[in-house]
Amino acid sequence: MFGLHKRLWAARPVKSSYDAVIIGGGLHGLATAYFLARDHNITNVAVIEKRFIGFGGSGRNTAIVRANQRTQENLPLYKEALDLWPELTRELDFNLMFHNCGNLNLAHSEAALKAMRLQVASAQFLGIDSRLLDPKECKEVVPALDISGRPRYPITGGMYHPPGGIVRHDAVVWGLAKGCSRRGVHIHQGTEVTGIGFEKGKVAWVDTDRGKIRTPRVLNAAGGYSAGIASRLMGLRLPISVLTIQAMVTQPLKPLLHHVVSSGAYHCYANQTLKGEIVTGAHMDPWPNFTTQTTAAYIKHQAEFVTEFLPCLKGAKFMRIWGGLADMTPDMAPIIDGHVPAEGCFLDCGWGYFGFKSSTVTGRYMARYMATGECPEILQPFALKRFQEHRLMGETAALVDYSANN
Amino acid sequence: MIRLNHLPTLRIKPGVPRSFTYGRRRLQGVEGDTVATALFANGVRVFGRSLKYHRPRGLYSLDGESSNTLVNVDGVPNVCAETTLLADGMCVASQNAFPGPDFDALGFMDALSWAMPAGFYYRMLHKPARLWPLAVPVIRKMAGVGTLAPDFQAPGRRDEIYPAADVCVIGAGVAGMSAALAAAEAGLRVVLFESRPWPGGAFEYRPGAARDGVACFQKTAELAAAVKASPHIRLFLNAPVIGVYSNGLVTAFQRGRSPHPFDERYIEVRAASVVVATGCIERPLLFEHNERPGVMQAGCAHRLARTWGILPGRTAVFSVGHDPGLEAAVDLFDLGVEIAAVADLRQDGLDPALVDALSRRRIPLLRGWSATKAHGRRRVAKVTLAGANGRFRKTLDCDLLVASAGFTPVTGPLTLAGAKLAFDERTGFFLPTCLPPRVHAAGRITGRQDWHAVAASGRLAGLCAIQDNGIDQTAAIGELADALGSLPGPVRGAKFVIAPDSGKKTFICFDEDATVKNVDQAMAKGFNVPELIKRFASVGTGPGQGGIPGHNLPLYVHQSGASPDAQPRPTTVRAPLTPTFLATYAGARLDMSKRTPIHDLQVAAGGRMERLGVWHRARRFSEDVHSREEILSVRTAVGILDASTLGKFRIFGPDAVKVLDRVYVGDMTRVPRTRAKYSAMCNEDGCLIDDGVIVRTGDNDYYLTTSTGRAGVTVEWIRYHTRFDDWDFGIVNLTDAYGVINLAGPEARAVLQRVTDADVSNEAFPFMGYREFAVGEVPLRAMRLGFVGELSFELHVPASWMAYVWNLLMDAGKDFGIRPFGLEAQNTLRLEKGHVIIGSESEQRTTLHDVGLGFLWHRDKPWARTVGDAALRQTEHQPGRLKLVGFRMADPSASPPRDGSVIVDRRIRGYVCTARYSVVLKEPVGLALVEDDSSAKGAPLAIYEDGCGGRLIQAVVTETPFYDPEGLRLRL
Amino acid sequence: MAFTITCPICGPRSGYEFRYGGQDKGPRPDPAEMTPETWCDYVHMTDSCPGVQKEWWYHRAGCGIWFTIYRDTTTNLEVSPDSPEAVA
Repeated sequence: MFGLHKRLWAARPVKSSYDAVIIGGGLHGLATAYFLARDHNITNVAVIEKRFIGFGGSGRNTAIVRANQRTQENLPLYKEALDLWPELTRELDFNLMFHNCGNLNLAHSEAALKAMRLQVASAQFLGIDSRLLDPKECKEVVPALDISGRPRYPITGGMYHPPGGIVRHDAVVWGLAKGCSRRGVHIHQGTEVTGIGFEKGKVAWVDTDRGKIRTPRVLNAAGGYSAGIASRLMGLRLPISVLTIQAMVTQPLKPLLHHVVSSGAYHCYANQTLKGEIVTGAHMDPWPNFTTQTTAAYIKHQAEFVTEFLPCLKGAKFMRIWGGLADMTPDMAPIIDGHVPAEGCFLDCGWGYFGFKSSTVTGRYMARYMATGECPEILQPFALKRFQEHRLMGETAALVDYSANN
Repeated sequence: MIRLNHLPTLRIKPGVPRSFTYGRRRLQGVEGDTVATALFANGVRVFGRSLKYHRPRGLYSLDGESSNTLVNVDGVPNVCAETTLLADGMCVASQNAFPGPDFDALGFMDALSWAMPAGFYYRMLHKPARLWPLAVPVIRKMAGVGTLAPDFQAPGRRDEIYPAADVCVIGAGVAGMSAALAAAEAGLRVVLFESRPWPGGAFEYRPGAARDGVACFQKTAELAAAVKASPHIRLFLNAPVIGVYSNGLVTAFQRGRSPHPFDERYIEVRAASVVVATGCIERPLLFEHNERPGVMQAGCAHRLARTWGILPGRTAVFSVGHDPGLEAAVDLFDLGVEIAAVADLRQDGLDPALVDALSRRRIPLLRGWSATKAHGRRRVAKVTLAGANGRFRKTLDCDLLVASAGFTPVTGPLTLAGAKLAFDERTGFFLPTCLPPRVHAAGRITGRQDWHAVAASGRLAGLCAIQDNGIDQTAAIGELADALGSLPGPVRGAKFVIAPDSGKKTFICFDEDATVKNVDQAMAKGFNVPELIKRFASVGTGPGQGGIPGHNLPLYVHQSGASPDAQPRPTTVRAPLTPTFLATYAGARLDMSKRTPIHDLQVAAGGRMERLGVWHRARRFSEDVHSREEILSVRTAVGILDASTLGKFRIFGPDAVKVLDRVYVGDMTRVPRTRAKYSAMCNEDGCLIDDGVIVRTGDNDYYLTTSTGRAGVTVEWIRYHTRFDDWDFGIVNLTDAYGVINLAGPEARAVLQRVTDADVSNEAFPFMGYREFAVGEVPLRAMRLGFVGELSFELHVPASWMAYVWNLLMDAGKDFGIRPFGLEAQNTLRLEKGHVIIGSESEQRTTLHDVGLGFLWHRDKPWARTVGDAALRQTEHQPGRLKLVGFRMADPSASPPRDGSVIVDRRIRGYVCTARYSVVLKEPVGLALVEDDSSAKGAPLAIYEDGCGGRLIQAVVTETPFYDPEGLRLRL
Repeated sequence: MAFTITCPICGPRSGYEFRYGGQDKGPRPDPAEMTPETWCDYVHMTDSCPGVQKEWWYHRAGCGIWFTIYRDTTTNLEVSPDSPEAVA
C-alpha cells in the first residue's frame, strides 16, 4: 500500500552523450536537472555524483529556511524558495516536511538592532513578513530565553520572521532524485568527473571514470568541490575559500523550542527537529580545508554560547557532531554565472553555508539559464565579475574573517 | 533483594545503605550501586518505554549502549541509569511512559508498527497538504524522550582542566593498565582514562583462571594496584573519553560521585602518544523481541552478580556465541541461577574446559543453536530456540535470556583519530588497517581474548608510546612482539548475523525502534549503503547512537547483497563518543572581557555600562535614552569622555615611515613633530577599515591611534602588508598601557589649564596640535582633535594614572559644570558634525570615496604600494555606488527615522545609517548611504521605516556638517 | 581535529593561536600597473584545490610574526617544505 518496493530512483548505464551534464548530485544539481526536465523538456540529462546523492552539504546542513536576508538582490530568491516547498511536496509526492515554525534572530547590542532594522525594513518593503521584537516579546515567543542581564551579551531585541522554518534536507534530496528519475534524468552515483573538454571555445564533453560523455552544457554545482573543479578542469580561478562548518544535535527531547533561534553575537543557532533533537551550530574555523573533521574547541564553544541565551539546554546532552564543507565567497553571496570561461559552462557555487535555503528556486532559474542561454534577471546580480568591479553584494555588513583582506 | 555479599569481586558495600525514591516508591540501594543496579535490585524490570512503539525496555547492558535505561534524576532528563552512581536522596523517575513503565497508555502503538514502515514520514501525511501542519504537533509530542523545562537550571558544579601528558591511554582494562605501566616505568607522564568507576575492564569481575592458573579478577586487581601506586600515572575514573583528534588531543569528562552526581569536569589532554585500549562491547543477537525486559547481554548478567551481588534471574536460557558467555553460564549456575539451556551459535571452537564444566553441571548445550523468539508481554517468560537451519526448535520457560552474538571492538576513538578500518574475516571485527602516527591499539580491541595476550599487547603499545616520545625501544619492542606471537592470537568470531525465521519485531536499533524489516524496506527503495539506510530507516541515530546497531547494520546489509561493496563497511562514528551534558562542555564559562582603568569611577558617576566587543563602556549617564543633558554640557560647557578603548600603537625604526605609507592612504613622509595627522586605512578593495591620528614623537618614532574594533588586529595587519619587505621597524601595542580622556566643550581649556602648568592657549596649542606635558605630576600626550565638534583635548594618560587625572579634571571642572558623557551623546555630537563611525556609516563594501573621505588619499606615492591604492584608482569615478550623504527631514518637526530604515523608490536605494534629533539644531539630522544618483544636494529621499505600513517619511539630501560647518568651534 | 601549527619561533602550538593569511601569492604587484583582472586575481582568486598549499600564518596569541607553512588541506596536517607535495 505504500509502494514499499518501488525504488526512488533508477540506476542506469552511462550514455555517451547528454544534452546537459550536471556535476554534483546535491540539491542544486538535482534541482536544476529536475527543472530542466519539468519546465524545458530537456530530459536527456546526467547528474554525475562522485559519492552518493546528498553526500555533501545537502545532507549535512541543518535545514533551516528563511527569507530575511540583508539585500534586495537576495531576498526575492529566498522568498520564492519558501513558497516552493509545499509546491514541490505535492508535485514530487514526497513529504519534504516543511515545518513553518518561524525564526527568531536575537540582537545583543544597539548596532545589531540597527542591522536588523535594515533587514526587517527591506523584507517588509518587499512584502515579506519580518518584524522587530523587544526582549519581552522575544521571551513570549521563546520562553526558554534568558533576557536578564546575566549573559555576557544580554538580549536587546530580536528579528522575528514567521514564514521561515525547517525542512527535512534528506527528503529534498531523495524527493528531487525521485522526480528527476521519473522524468528520465540519469543519476550516476559513484562517478567522478575527471576532465572537461572544449572545442572552438565551447564546452564539448566531460571525461568521467566511467567514460567520456559529449554534451553542449555543463553545470558546475559541486558545492565544496566546485572551486577546485573550476580551477582544475575549467581553468577558472574563483574567489572561494572552502571551510569546514560544524553542527551538532542533542539527544531527543519532548517539545521545548518551537522556533529556530539564532544569535549573531554568539554565532550560533538552535532549533528542535521533528524528532526532538536540538540542532545547533554555525561556527567555522577560519582556515580553508577539505576535511569534514570536527573539532574539540568547537563543541565547547557551541555549548558555552548556546547555553548563554538558552540556559536550560545545559540539561541536554550532545550526542552527535558532524562537519561539512562551506564554499565561502568574500561577500557571503553565491556565484551564479553562465558561459564562463567558455560557452556552455555554467556555475552555481560559492553558497557557503546558506545553499540549502534557496537551492530549489536557484535550480529552477539555472535550468532556464541553461535551456535558453539567457541569464534570468533574478540571477544577474550574482555574476562573477562583481569581484573585479569592486562591487561586493553587501549581504554581510561586517568583514569576513576567513579572508586576508580585512 | 538480598545481595550475594561475600564475593571477592564485589564493588558494593552491602552494609552501607543509600535511600532514594523511584516515582512514589521509597527504595534502598547500597553504596557502589548505580541507579540501574539499585532499581534492578529492587525488582524493577521495565525501566522505560521505547520511543516510537512504547515497548517495555529493561536492563540490557551496563555501559549505556542503549537508551533503555534513560531516566530522570533530580529533574535532569535522559540520565543514563547504568553509568550514574546512586547518591543518597536521589529522586528517580521513568520517562516516556504514562502513567508508568509497567503500564503505559501508549502501549498500543506497538500493535500499529505495521503502519509505520521505514521512511514513513517521507511518504505519508502530505496528502492532502493541510494534513501536514496538523500532524506536526502530534509527531513532535510523540517524539523525543525526556522533558526539559524552559526554566530548567542545571544542578552541579563544573570545571575544566587541560593537562599535558607524554602518553594518554584510553581504557584502564588489562591492556590499558599494562600500557600505562610500561610507559610509567620509563618515567613518562601518563594520563589514563576509564569510563567505569573502577579500573579492570572485561577481566575485572571474571573468576575464570588465566593461563597461569590465577583467577583473572585477581591478576587484574594486582595490575590496578600497581597503577594506583605509580606516581607517573594520573588515573581518571568514571571518565569516558568523548573525542580523539589528530596530534594527540583527547577529550573526556569525569562524572561526579556521591553526594554530587552532577558535578562534572571537562578534561582536554594533549599527549605525544595515544594508546587506545577500549576493549569490546557485545554484539546484540538479532531475533524476534530481542529487546524484551529479561533479555540481557552476557556481561550484563554476569556483572550484576559478580560486581553488585544481584542474581539477574531465577531461570535462565543462554544464547551466546563466545566463550565468555559460556563462562558466565557456568559461574551464574554456581552462584544459584538455574540454567535451562545454553545455545551457542558456534558448531566448533568452543573452549573444551567450559564445555566440560557445563556438562558436569548437567546444563544442556546446544551447538549451532540460537534464540529465535522471546515470549512474554512485559518481560521474558519463555524462549524459543532453534537450530541453524530453523528445523529443530524448542521452547523453554525462563525469566532471563542471556543473548549475545559476539563482540564488537570499541573502535570509536581510533576512527576519530583518523584510523582506517577494514572488515576482518577471522574475528568478524572492523580492525584498523592503518593507524595515524603516534596512535596505537591494544588489547581486546584487536581480537585477542586471552588475559596474558591482552596484557602483552598492552605492554607492547606502551613501549611504542615510549618510542614516540623519542626514547629508543626498538629492541624491547622486537622482543615483546615475538613473545606476543607465541601467545593466543585473535579469536575467531561467530559469523552469525540474524536468527532464522526472525519475525517482524527483530530490533536492530532499540533507541529508534528500527527493525531489520525496516532495513529491508530501505534497501528495497534503492538505499544500498549503510550510511544512507541509517538515515532513511533511522538506525543508530537515536540517543545511544551506534552502540547497539553499529556493527550489526553493516553486517546485515552486506549479507543481504544490496551493498555495492565487496566487504562490509563500518558506519561513521562521530563525537562525542558518550552523550555529554552541554553544561559539562560549557564548563566554568570564564568570560574574558576588559574594563577601562576608570570603569568603576564611571559606574559611580551613574554610567550605564554595556559590553561592546571585549570592552565594557558607558552608553550614557542618565535615564534619558537621548542623553540630552550630556550633549548640552559638551556644546555649552564641558564634558568628559573615557575613550580608553581606542587602539594605541608605537611604530619606530628606520623604515617606520615606509610602513605608515604602506597602510595609510595619506602621505606620511611629512608628519610634523607638533601636529597630529588624521588619516585612514583601506583594505585591498579600497574599503575604509580604520581611521585615526598619527603623531611623530621622535626621529623615526610614531604614535598612532586606531578605532576600538581594530586595536586587536592592527599589528597583524601592518606586519602582513610588509611581510615581503624586510623593513627595519618595530611595532608595540600600547592600547592597554594608555588610557584616553576626551575633554570637550567651550570650557575645556579653562578646565585643563587649572591642572597643568603647560600653556594650552590656542596660540601655544592650536587645533590638530600635539603636545607632551604633565598634569599634576603625570606626563601625558595631548592632542587637539574635534570628533564631537567642540574645542577638545584628547589626553593619553598612563593607565595607572587614569583615575588620578580623571578625578583631577572632574574637580577642576566642577565650577564649569563638567559632566561625563557616554557613547550615545558622542554619537549624536559627531553626527551633527557629519563625522563617520566605521561600521556605522560604512559597511564591508564602502570605499574611502563612498564616505566622502577621498581627500585623505594621496595618489602620488607609487613607491609606497599603498594597500587599496589600485582599487581607489579603479573606483574613483565609478557610477552606481552607495554614497554617504547627510539629510534633513522635509518637515523639520518630524521625528528622525530609526537607524537602518531603508530609502526607496520602486526599489531599495539605500538606507539610514544614523539619524538623531539634534538639540542644538532643533531638528532631526541624519546620515545615509544612498545610490549615487540620489546623492546630490537637494535630492528627495523617501524613507521606509519598519512597521510603517507603506507610509513613507520624506527627507532631503543636505550638506554636512550640520553643526558649525566652518569648524570655528574646534579652533576656539 | 586538533589543528597544530609549527611556529618558527614558538614551536608546535594549537592552531587556534594563529590567524590564517591566505595562500601564498608572492609580493603585491605594483598597484599602478594593476588592471581589474590582475588585481582581482591577486586579491580574491584562489586555486581551492584539495592538496598541499603554501600559505601564510600569523602567531596572534604568541610571538606575532607572519610565516609560511605547507599544509595538506585534505588532512589539516603540516607538510615538510622538502616533501614532494610541497615542492610540486
